[in-house]
Amino acid sequence: MDIYKNPAKRGLLDGADVSISQSNPMCGDDVSVQLKIENGIVKDARFHGNACMVSIVSSEILLDYLVGKTLDEVKVVTKEKFLEMLNLNLSTSRIGCATLALGAVQKAVNEYEKK
Amino acid sequence: MDIKKLKKDFPILFRKIGLNDLVYLDNAATSQKPVQVVEAVKDFYLEHNANVHRGIHTLSEEASGMYEDARKKVARFINAIYPEEIIFTHGATESLNMAAFSWGVPNLKKGDKILLTGFEHHSNLIPWQIVAKNTGAELKFVKTESNGTVDMSEFKNVLTPDVRLVCVAHASNVLGTILDVREISKLAHAVGALVCVDGAQAVPHIPVNIQSLGCDFYAFSGHKMLAPMGIGVLYVKKSVMEQMVPSQFGGGMIKEVSLTEASWAEAPEKFEAGTPDVGGAIGLAAAVDYLLAIGMDKVREHEIELNRHAIEKLNSIEGIKIIGPVDPEKRTGLVSFYSEKVHAHDIASVLNSSGVAVRSGHHCAMPLHKEMGLPATVRASYYIYNDLSDIDKLAEGVEKALKMLS
Repeated sequence: MDIYKNPAKRGLLDGADVSISQSNPMCGDDVSVQLKIENGIVKDARFHGNACMVSIVSSEILLDYLVGKTLDEVKVVTKEKFLEMLNLNLSTSRIGCATLALGAVQKAVNEYEKK
Repeated sequence: MDIKKLKKDFPILFRKIGLNDLVYLDNAATSQKPVQVVEAVKDFYLEHNANVHRGIHTLSEEASGMYEDARKKVARFINAIYPEEIIFTHGATESLNMAAFSWGVPNLKKGDKILLTGFEHHSNLIPWQIVAKNTGAELKFVKTESNGTVDMSEFKNVLTPDVRLVCVAHASNVLGTILDVREISKLAHAVGALVCVDGAQAVPHIPVNIQSLGCDFYAFSGHKMLAPMGIGVLYVKKSVMEQMVPSQFGGGMIKEVSLTEASWAEAPEKFEAGTPDVGGAIGLAAAVDYLLAIGMDKVREHEIELNRHAIEKLNSIEGIKIIGPVDPEKRTGLVSFYSEKVHAHDIASVLNSSGVAVRSGHHCAMPLHKEMGLPATVRASYYIYNDLSDIDKLAEGVEKALKMLS
């Protein structure tokens, strides 16, 4: 509940290296993730957008975890691993909300490596 | 209406969600099914099951008879002139796709206009987007007023002589708005346009008289009106059906077939390729019987009463905004709302924890939500078995959600 009310990673990032939006067509959630990457390491990360509690909390936990990690470490965070890490009792319909930011991060890393 | 007595026909309404009694308010998505409907389907499969048409044996004749009786019953229910004007489909979506591909594609051409509202369910929007792409026809839209209605003088303005088809929901699945289809048909016919109506949210809730509405196509689903999932109806006016060509081909829809050519059976069979959902049609007929025993006027009165209570209760909660017409008599049995502080999904989750089932999201109307600037809304939709106490539980749950999360 604290994370939901005061998500530290919610906001905009100055000088982001890559920004990706991901939306969940089922519910209308729309989350953008911004990453700052230096020497293959995630230096900072933020998210913003229209999101429900599950999206917000999972975005916060994910981005908090990612800061300081290498891109290789980021890439191995699969949907299954992340849901395990979250350890929330989620119904099937909320799994899309919980993994919205993860989808954006995966796309962002892909995009960054293409540059 | 004796709701306590009627509720006993719906065993599912007595189950628990966690420790709470279920309060089912997601009827615009699908209604629950009474034992009478389930028994009718069971009776068909256990006592009469056979494929329909052209079977010489007794079971096939029984099944064919029951299937055609269901068609007659549905025709009478919406006051169609001929049973052959009823095409059985798998649901309103398939019905609207059939109108699009069996009438739209062969009859529309470059320069023609298709006029729609901005609050159509995706199923009465996307098929027409594809028809437009395939034929060169163009879509145009009548503006939605801020109170969720369509202004008829605005409708007249956009109803130009190049409009060949008007596609509207009889009742909006998000706003609840009931459109004046009779007036729309009259105006459309005056410029030579046909009218295709999505009646999925209307037939279960308000008395529908096709002859009085005067429209040319009318689509609805069985599962929102007590019948099983998988059966639906496309009504087509007889003279218009003659302009349609089949869009699905195979068994059951032919007259004669050679290795290189085929000719079609008479309507409506030629639009029902393959084995139809006979059990579903029989279930739909049983649902029609159930609703007629109550009376559609009574159903409507009951839902206006629930509308009035829901609007009053939700309006009294600070931070909750209702969308759509404010007059309970101008909307079908549903109310959609949102909070600026708490996401619709989270309100729905908290409601679920109290046993209250509602829907949250864009309800298959993304353009409307975009237009309103809302990512998602909560929709509570009721039916014959809901009572005022269900609305009270809804309001309590919403208050709890706001207290917890904002």
